[in-house]
Amino acid sequence: MTMNSFERVAEGGCGVIGVASSIPIKGRFLLRPLVQTHNRGNGKGGGIAAVGLSAEQLGVSKRVLEECYLVQIAYLDSNVREDVEASFIKPFMRVEYFEKLPTLGDYRSIGLEVKPPEVWRYFLRVDEDVLKKFAEDNGMQALDPRDVEDEFIYRNSFALNRKHYSSTGLKKAFVLSHGRNMIVLKIVGYAEQVIKYYMLEDLEAHIWIGHQRYPTKGKVWHPGGSHPFIGLNDALVHNGDFANYYSITEYLRQRNIYPLFLTDTEVAALYWDLLTRIYRYPLEYAIEALAPTTERDFAMLPDEKKKIYKVIQATHIHGSPDGPWFFIIARNDVRNRVFQLIGITDTSMLRPQVFALHDGDVKIGIIASERQAIDAMLEELSKHDERIHPMADAYWYARGGSYTDGGAFIYTVDEYGGLVCTNKFGKRVAVEASTPRVEFNGGGWRPEIDEKTIKRLGPEELFKLVSKSIGDWSIREVVSLIEALEEHGMKGSEEMLKAISVLTLLIDRRYPSRVSRNRLIPLFEKAVSKILSSVPLIEANFQGRLQRVDWDSRRMLVKPSAANSVLVIDAHDFPPEGDEGVCNLLENAYRLGWRRLIAYNFIGQRNFGAGLVARDGVRIDVYGRPGDCLAAFADGPEFHVHGSVQDSVAYCFRSGRIVVYGDAGKAFEYGAKGGVAFILGDLVDRPLINAVGSATAVINGSCMDYMGESFMAAKGFIILNGIRFDGKGRLVEKETPYHGGNLLPLAAAGAVYIRDPRGTVGEDQLNGGRIESITGKDWEKILPLLRENEKLFGIRVEDLLRVNGVLRMPEEVYRKVVPVQVAALTRYERGD
Amino acid sequence: MKMIQSRLAFKVPEVKPAVSKEPFRIGKFEVLLDRSKCTACGLCAQVCPTYIGSAIVEYEAFKKPSGILRVTNARAMCEGLVCRKCVESCPTKALTVRINPQYLILGDKRWTADLILSTWEQAESGKPSGRYEYRVGDSGGGFDKIRFDFELEEEVSINEIFEAEDRDTSIVLNRRRDGRPEISIPIPVYSADMSFGSISLRVMVARAIAAKAWNTFTSTGEGGYPNELIPFKDHVITQVATGHFGVNAETVKRARIVCLKYAQGAKPGLGGHLLADKVTPKVAEIREVVPYISLFSPFPFHNVYSVEDHYRHVQLIKDINPKALVSVKVSTPIDVDMVAIGSYYAGANILQVDGGFGGTGAAPDIAKKNIAMPIEYAIPMVHNYLVREGVRDEMVIMASGGIRTAFDVAKIIALGADGAVIGTSELVALGCKRCGNCERGRGCPSGIATTDPALSLLIDPEWGAQRIINMYCSWKKQWNYILSKLGLSSIRELRPKNEVKFRKGRFNHLVHLDHLR
Repeated sequence: MTMNSFERVAEGGCGVIGVASSIPIKGRFLLRPLVQTHNRGNGKGGGIAAVGLSAEQLGVSKRVLEECYLVQIAYLDSNVREDVEASFIKPFMRVEYFEKLPTLGDYRSIGLEVKPPEVWRYFLRVDEDVLKKFAEDNGMQALDPRDVEDEFIYRNSFALNRKHYSSTGLKKAFVLSHGRNMIVLKIVGYAEQVIKYYMLEDLEAHIWIGHQRYPTKGKVWHPGGSHPFIGLNDALVHNGDFANYYSITEYLRQRNIYPLFLTDTEVAALYWDLLTRIYRYPLEYAIEALAPTTERDFAMLPDEKKKIYKVIQATHIHGSPDGPWFFIIARNDVRNRVFQLIGITDTSMLRPQVFALHDGDVKIGIIASERQAIDAMLEELSKHDERIHPMADAYWYARGGSYTDGGAFIYTVDEYGGLVCTNKFGKRVAVEASTPRVEFNGGGWRPEIDEKTIKRLGPEELFKLVSKSIGDWSIREVVSLIEALEEHGMKGSEEMLKAISVLTLLIDRRYPSRVSRNRLIPLFEKAVSKILSSVPLIEANFQGRLQRVDWDSRRMLVKPSAANSVLVIDAHDFPPEGDEGVCNLLENAYRLGWRRLIAYNFIGQRNFGAGLVARDGVRIDVYGRPGDCLAAFADGPEFHVHGSVQDSVAYCFRSGRIVVYGDAGKAFEYGAKGGVAFILGDLVDRPLINAVGSATAVINGSCMDYMGESFMAAKGFIILNGIRFDGKGRLVEKETPYHGGNLLPLAAAGAVYIRDPRGTVGEDQLNGGRIESITGKDWEKILPLLRENEKLFGIRVEDLLRVNGVLRMPEEVYRKVVPVQVAALTRYERGD
Repeated sequence: MKMIQSRLAFKVPEVKPAVSKEPFRIGKFEVLLDRSKCTACGLCAQVCPTYIGSAIVEYEAFKKPSGILRVTNARAMCEGLVCRKCVESCPTKALTVRINPQYLILGDKRWTADLILSTWEQAESGKPSGRYEYRVGDSGGGFDKIRFDFELEEEVSINEIFEAEDRDTSIVLNRRRDGRPEISIPIPVYSADMSFGSISLRVMVARAIAAKAWNTFTSTGEGGYPNELIPFKDHVITQVATGHFGVNAETVKRARIVCLKYAQGAKPGLGGHLLADKVTPKVAEIREVVPYISLFSPFPFHNVYSVEDHYRHVQLIKDINPKALVSVKVSTPIDVDMVAIGSYYAGANILQVDGGFGGTGAAPDIAKKNIAMPIEYAIPMVHNYLVREGVRDEMVIMASGGIRTAFDVAKIIALGADGAVIGTSELVALGCKRCGNCERGRGCPSGIATTDPALSLLIDPEWGAQRIINMYCSWKKQWNYILSKLGLSSIRELRPKNEVKFRKGRFNHLVHLDHLR
């Protein structure tokens, strides 16, 4: 065994963000999303990559930027620079321009413990004579000279690294990146410290990736182990862990490729380079080689694809990473003159990877570990460019190794500033053309919703009135309404609650609007924040109905003055978790007697409401971007989350209710014991697995896979409606409520009621289950929940029963999946 | 300061006899009587050296008109072939002595008949008789090939063990200085996680009583937290495992230690399973499932697929219970050292490293002993790694999975652990014969690993607790003895400060027999 196969740096997770934009964006916009994913790394490794740079900023001509290799070498020991240049650059290269990267004076000033490497940047081409000889020596004369040059650069960097950087020996210098029009920088620290240290705040690029690493090995960490890792014109970051690292290194070794940095991410980057540069596979096939299509998904492929995929799998299965992983790849596709940002999810969808697309004048695609990081980025961008909204047009997850999207999405930026998003199969992701983005400044304040009307009507009626007419309002009119509501809200606590209720309904519900939703919702959310921030800070003996607590006043928390007092929690400055976090604050508030709470301004704080045992009618409203594990282990309270939630929400939920006016992330209600969940949108994967007791959920969207695995809730069930809203706020049936190959697998009790009038879900998607038609009794069981669903989301039961405009009987619309009793599981050695 | 007080307040529990309820105890030897030759002279009983209140042959028997000798429970005490006094004294040659065939089929190479019998002895009387090997098994490797150097120099005498003066055997379960309590336990062991379902409620209560008496801990396992354990809540670890059966905010908040079980050494890569027959209505009720349907816990946690998820998971438990220590239970894959350092960064207080030799009969044979690394390999690996990373002193490492005796515990500490977690030995103390019939049908014929209402009556909690208490009393004496032999005042000094490195088969008072010339 060589050292390569044993001395591996272990790591698992990481916080990742990747962004591609039709306009160049500055490094500073990555700072906040990176800070907000600190808890996915441990500050021992951070890195960034930027593709599609500005020639002007780098001080070279456009030609040099596009044609030369942009080699960045990290010198951990500055004394070796002369030697490196003398032996790896000067003899072979024609250097057009070179410089030392400017840095901050003192790395400690930004909290770094290890001095980042000194980085020199070289723009160079390989000398023609050298190249000619190289081609002759290696029998490459038939190749395109540019490909030969690529290979030369690649090998030269490998040789440099091998001489000056080995994971178990000397660590003096290594090549950070050598692709064209792209850079990589990495340090021992957090990723945003890379941007600060190398002063990249103003550097512009079309594509950025940032990576917070969570390495676990090595008392002294080295920047070489940080992500991204490079191919030639590709930079790859990774979240997860391969179970078959040895197998992949063996696979690579058979092809004369030897990893040097000993992490699974490096082998992934090498493998990717092999597939795309050496084998020249189109993206689709390269992705198939990484994340093979399997099981039912394979069976669902067209025959033509099956044939090719089978061959790819047979050839490359040993190089395919096994285990939980996802990659984000930034690349300069020099052949097609485009920049690409690619996100690939493993076949079993074991890591969280959220995709988002912001359409419009500025097109932005983002991939991140958490949704809140995406929104943080868009919010920062929107502050500096009014064409950008603080919310994307679409957020979605990839279904790994699937026949539907292939588990991968690619954002391609062309040289004319266009950006398209396609899936593995090249199918374009279209954001629904909701409403034109053009703003009409005509019109004025709608007379029917004046101050008097706001005063006279209740929140529901007001919302109805607004939603009826907002369809032709311009942004100006929306803003006037918001201003009127804000003004009304300042008048007193009842008025404030009413204004919040109306705004909340405007956030929660779907309705036709001329101004696009991702423009509207942030405005409403901002208004809610503004009103809530006007609530007086907590103090003893205060008589008003609403009181507010924030980070600075957290220790001042007192008892409520009356039973109906409302505590407003400003979560913004709280740490993401820990003893001083929002979880503890909520617990204390409950103990002091608060029963009605509104929490807002979340920026990814985790564990809110976790472990709260409150069975006496507690209602908690949540605004903003709450983080993972919201309401985990909660027992009794009623949560209303006005927006989408992330992963592990309602984990081990025991009783009470959780209403999500948006989508929910991975492993929703894992191990739940009871309570009812209402979800307006979609679920990702693994919801309600191992749920017992009376765990019940109503999901209006769809779910990707593994829903209700090992479901054991005899008194519980799941309703899956499989619907969505189109841009005009109309109810639309999804292609199918369930795409996955595992529905209610290995369950012992309970049922899934699916709204599937076209019978799109088949027995081949079950594993230990059976599809039955519903009975009158079933309908009696689910109807009260659908009625409640109607009250919460405005989704009328009659509309659910309507198919192509015709009202149908429940049994024609709903079907049910129930577990079959497997003999082996029930009659083990009992002889009956 | 608090820690010291609690140590002072603690009084070592007393040994009280807790005699086996089996009608005939299994002994190594048995004396056979040829009735046709016996004249009922009584000589044999008089010469029997173990005759103090009981004998091979009870003297009373002679008074019985039938004249038939009655073989009593005391035959477990027979010295057998070494003694033969009765055989030799018998005028009519009516007696023969032989190895008991039951002894020959009892146990296996790791848990030899001797170890089982000596554990029973310790459970009954708080000390081994010395008749049976009570320190090692016969597996031909691991602990069975490792000795303390003093063991090789001279015979360890039972009397010496019981005369050894008291030494400090306490350990602290939190060394992170993270503001959470520095819980101290007076012996370097607590009792392993076994669920209600895998064992009966009466056994759980027995273990809880014993844990309370010893001021240490036992664990719920993953089958929920029965109300009967609430009076012992300060001594019960709440386990959160992948199936989350019976786990909720109240049980997490109640505990002073919460254990996140990621994997089990007996069956790494497999979840838990409880076969249909053991899912009785009471078990189903507490797990909130349907009775008589097999239950599976998945592997792994479906919300923990990487180290940053692990961090999130630990932080969640810490947020739910700000006073609890978090213990992370992992098995021993070849990269267990990476797992350990990952748990350190995730914020765990205790790392329970579970080797491949544990597990009841419910763990599949193919998995047991075949997947995970032996604990005596894993602990030095983890210890060395954490030493190299400079964080060893902040983590508490508890070893489990195949630790059977007081000497095993001392050896694993000398190999780098802080203490051990004991499962099977406690069950053996309760009368387990290691028959391996834990999961089928109604479960254990001894009433231990069963949920059957009738069978579980075989264990009386108070009696069972006393047997476990007695066993630990005996173990405590043995640790005192070992420490005094090594000239150490505390068991914490036994744990190596630096990396574990065997040189010529020797390290930290340990000797590997294979390296002796």
